Amino acid sequence: MSAEMREANTDGPVFADHVSLGHYRRRRIIGVLGWTLCGGCFVLLAFAMLDILFKVLKGGLTAINLKVLTETTQGVSGGLLQAIEGTVVLTIGSVLIATPLSIGVGVYLSEHRNRFFSKVVRFMSDVLVGVPSIVLGLFGYVALVAGLGWHFSVLAGSITLAVMIIPYISRSVELALLAVPQSLRESAYALGASDASVVARVLIPRSASRIITGVLLGMALSMGETAPVIYTVGWSDYLWNGQVTHQSMGYLTYVIWSFIDQPYQSAHKLAFAAALLITGMVLLITVSTRFTTRYMTIQ
Amino acid sequence: MAISSSVSTDAEAFRDSRDSQTVDQRRSSTETRANSETTARSMKSNSKPQNSQMSKLSVRDLNFYYGDFQAIKNVSLEIEAQKVTAFIGPSGCGKSSLLRCFNRIYELYPGHMATGEIRLNGRNVLDKKVDRNLLRSKIGMVFQKPTPFPMSVYDNIAFGVKLYERLRRHEMQERVEWSLKKAALWDEVKDKLDKSGASLSGGQQQRLCIARAIAVKPEVLLLDEPASALDPIASAKIEELVHELRTDYTVVIVTHNMQQAARVADDTAFFHLGEIIEFTDTDTLFTQPSEKRTEDYITGRYG
Repeated sequence: MSAEMREANTDGPVFADHVSLGHYRRRRIIGVLGWTLCGGCFVLLAFAMLDILFKVLKGGLTAINLKVLTETTQGVSGGLLQAIEGTVVLTIGSVLIATPLSIGVGVYLSEHRNRFFSKVVRFMSDVLVGVPSIVLGLFGYVALVAGLGWHFSVLAGSITLAVMIIPYISRSVELALLAVPQSLRESAYALGASDASVVARVLIPRSASRIITGVLLGMALSMGETAPVIYTVGWSDYLWNGQVTHQSMGYLTYVIWSFIDQPYQSAHKLAFAAALLITGMVLLITVSTRFTTRYMTIQ
Repeated sequence: MAISSSVSTDAEAFRDSRDSQTVDQRRSSTETRANSETTARSMKSNSKPQNSQMSKLSVRDLNFYYGDFQAIKNVSLEIEAQKVTAFIGPSGCGKSSLLRCFNRIYELYPGHMATGEIRLNGRNVLDKKVDRNLLRSKIGMVFQKPTPFPMSVYDNIAFGVKLYERLRRHEMQERVEWSLKKAALWDEVKDKLDKSGASLSGGQQQRLCIARAIAVKPEVLLLDEPASALDPIASAKIEELVHELRTDYTVVIVTHNMQQAARVADDTAFFHLGEIIEFTDTDTLFTQPSEKRTEDYITGRYG
């Protein structure tokens, strides 16, 4: 009956009789509210990021020049060459130490997820993530710089930074391996492959892009860190002489943290130049992770 | 041979029969297709597995547990050599679990446990003294979803072979070609052996997985719903392939598709709630089942 009426009258409602319009309107309003909330959060985040980038670019671009990139620091003026060198060396050092360990831990956590020991390791790794980085720095100082009788040094800094990023990288390795379908493992084992060849030839290649992404994010994290490095690497105006355990070193985050307090124009300029450099480097790494997931997926 | 023989003797025994199997294979491949067809047919008329001489896998009082849940209850059956045996039955009936006992792949999961006997060439493969990896060189397995390894088509095949054999480069090339031809895939992939296995279509990937299993030169092939994730055309190709593989291998196939079982299998076992309800040659099972439950299942009244 009513169906016929609707057909006849083209201006009639196009919803069924049993539809409750009140219920439907409420659904629409909640939907709009949800979208607004999400949009607001996005704007807030985007604003924070753009504001930081803008300030860093504005201060940094006027401060940066060839001299900054080619000369070492002289007190609170000069260049940042040794600091750039230090940041690069420390970052590479920490990643070199952290990556093999993290892959081992991640493989264990993923392939033996329900063992008691795995649960203990996972818990401790979560705790480690929660430890403030300055406490890690203190640990590095007490254990390595003072405890082992080293000086402020590359190795002390790299190890401390590695301890900081291992939980992140190992978790990303774990998640990467968990995403590999179980049937792929079974297929390899069904051929008679050993644990080692399943991990090395099937699981890791299959999740390589995700693992590399994890390593790169760990690298970015390590590069931008200040507190652990202050306690373990010290500061130096001179280029690194290759000594690993007794030679302190310059690095960019120290410049930002320390020089911005100095009552000198040159110090402020160096701090902004350092901020620009470190932001650029971290951004470069973060953006490059986009490409590892897109182009490095080995199937 | 005594069950208490050491691992190394086991290994040797496996090696021996591997070699003899290779000879068998060569012999049978020289036979004409028509010949093997008639052999298979005459064997089929012999009805059921009383003839334990012919049986490749002999299952006795097998129980299988997922922790506390018993998935297989006291199953005994004989799987005949050079035949295709299908396992059918509703989900959770234990057919896949049984398949996973044959190559002990269930051992990947703590809590999964099998008791009883599965004899392959007279030796109980469930015996912990039998090395599971050597066992898997004799019993290959293909799973429901195609699982190409993250490497080239060529390396997908070579991966398994390298686990057991040291071959020269040209020998490996021959083996890869041989297994791909055997899996009816060679013509489609001969120009892209260095391409990733994942670049193939779903049906090709599944035939790659079959080729990968064959390349190791097993005696038994376990196929766990090998065509259920594929479209009808790819599925038909797999069926055709299974039919041909029968001449050289003992094939056990688990399937949800009864038409498929009827098409490819010589013998069919119907499982229900962890027990074998009926096991006989495929024609009889589908045309004159002796059990009411079998009839109900194949006519779609439950399952």
